[in-house]
Amino acid sequence: MSDNRYTLRQLNMRVRDAIEMQMPDEYWVEAELSECRERSGHCYMELIEKDEQTNTPVARASAKCWRQTWMVMQPHFERVTGQPLHAGLKVLLRVYAQYHEAYGFSWIVTDIDPTYTIGDMARKRQEIIRQLKEEGVFDLQRELHIPLFAQRIAVISAAGAAGYGDFCRQLEDNEYGFKFEVTLFPAIMQGEQVEKSIIDALNQIYSVECRTESVEFATASESEQPSVAVANSTLYTLNSKFDCVVIIRGGGATADLSGFDTLALAENVAQFPIPIITGIGHDRDESILDMVSNTRVKTPTAAATLLIDNLRQVLERLNNAQQRISMAGHIIIDARHRIEMLQQRLSTAIERIMTNQKHRLSQIELLLQGYDPQLLLRRGYSITLHHGHAVRDPQQLKAGDEIETRVEKGTIKSIVR
Amino acid sequence: MNEPAKYEEALAQLETIVRKMENNEYTIDELTAQLKTAQQLIKLCRDKLTKTEAELLEEQTKGQ
Repeated sequence: MSDNRYTLRQLNMRVRDAIEMQMPDEYWVEAELSECRERSGHCYMELIEKDEQTNTPVARASAKCWRQTWMVMQPHFERVTGQPLHAGLKVLLRVYAQYHEAYGFSWIVTDIDPTYTIGDMARKRQEIIRQLKEEGVFDLQRELHIPLFAQRIAVISAAGAAGYGDFCRQLEDNEYGFKFEVTLFPAIMQGEQVEKSIIDALNQIYSVECRTESVEFATASESEQPSVAVANSTLYTLNSKFDCVVIIRGGGATADLSGFDTLALAENVAQFPIPIITGIGHDRDESILDMVSNTRVKTPTAAATLLIDNLRQVLERLNNAQQRISMAGHIIIDARHRIEMLQQRLSTAIERIMTNQKHRLSQIELLLQGYDPQLLLRRGYSITLHHGHAVRDPQQLKAGDEIETRVEKGTIKSIVR
Repeated sequence: MNEPAKYEEALAQLETIVRKMENNEYTIDELTAQLKTAQQLIKLCRDKLTKTEAELLEEQTKGQ
């Protein structure tokens, strides 16, 4: 019996020998990182494989990447995938087995294939997109409109971030003198806490919105106006606290966007009742956050420009309308002028007609005056009448007839002899 | 006089009367009636303009 006894070290050495004998090669292995830590330049990982249905671990092992390899591998992986190695990622590693009598079993990592991780991330993204579409929320944000007068802006950003500074400066320095009211809801914009942190910020914004609403309702019910119901709905839109939400990041060292590609975050953003603008700064594929937001731009500065541009367009429309209204004013003035001209012409025409007619009448009058017998009498002529008729021929008369002779100053009666 | 529905119609009618007036196309007997019509048309046009102007001003003030 005692011959078969080993010290632990001895036995472990045998395991080590066996492993080194049996598995001398390097292998490519697919696994999920459940932990990933850097210490003294080396990287210590925990690899895991989960059952696809139950999600319970079916295999687990630790892995190490020594400094020499890690120094090259880490930047390469980050350059290709846009993010550092971290827990939750699926990776394809080249490993060899090592059993150390004091430290136990480990896979020693000698290489990594980042394209595998990209493929897996893309697959996950597709899965999230499919799920969002199935839930019918994928396009919800795009059905909202950034209001014409979007001036009250809720910003989700890291508090001290350069991107947030850029955003605020850009808004303040706008050449039109537009005033914006920016409220910051700080959030962690990098790493694994992104999802929870942004969702918290959204909830905070939403609760501010609700608080405003309930205040308005309370005020409305206090007054005893019968039109309260109508007033409520107006107040709701007028006093809504924020016109839009802007999610920005930028100025950070890395381009780790993995936190922005989660289902829970996408669902929260997609169903948010206020339009969301994203400016999370990256050149790679759109993040899912970008896809479900109302509007995506590349940088915080671009987000500010978008908001300024939105107001500028409104201003232009107003100016345009104003101009057109004043043009309508000109039309009225012209029309007035035209009416006045017509009235002028009318009275001129009337005046002329009346003058002509009067002139004509006086001419006739003059003409008639020429025929006035009184005029002849004045000149010394006389008219002789017999039985009221002018006597033109002496043959008309016989002796004894009484005739009347009219002269200028009177009448002479005579008897014919 | 048939009340013209539109400003343009009223204006056209008014212009016809003025032109005929200027061309001596009316008899003296017609004159008073035509003048009366013309004055009514002028009033109608003026009223319409004043009303429109007030409406425009109101819209303009609303926008400011």
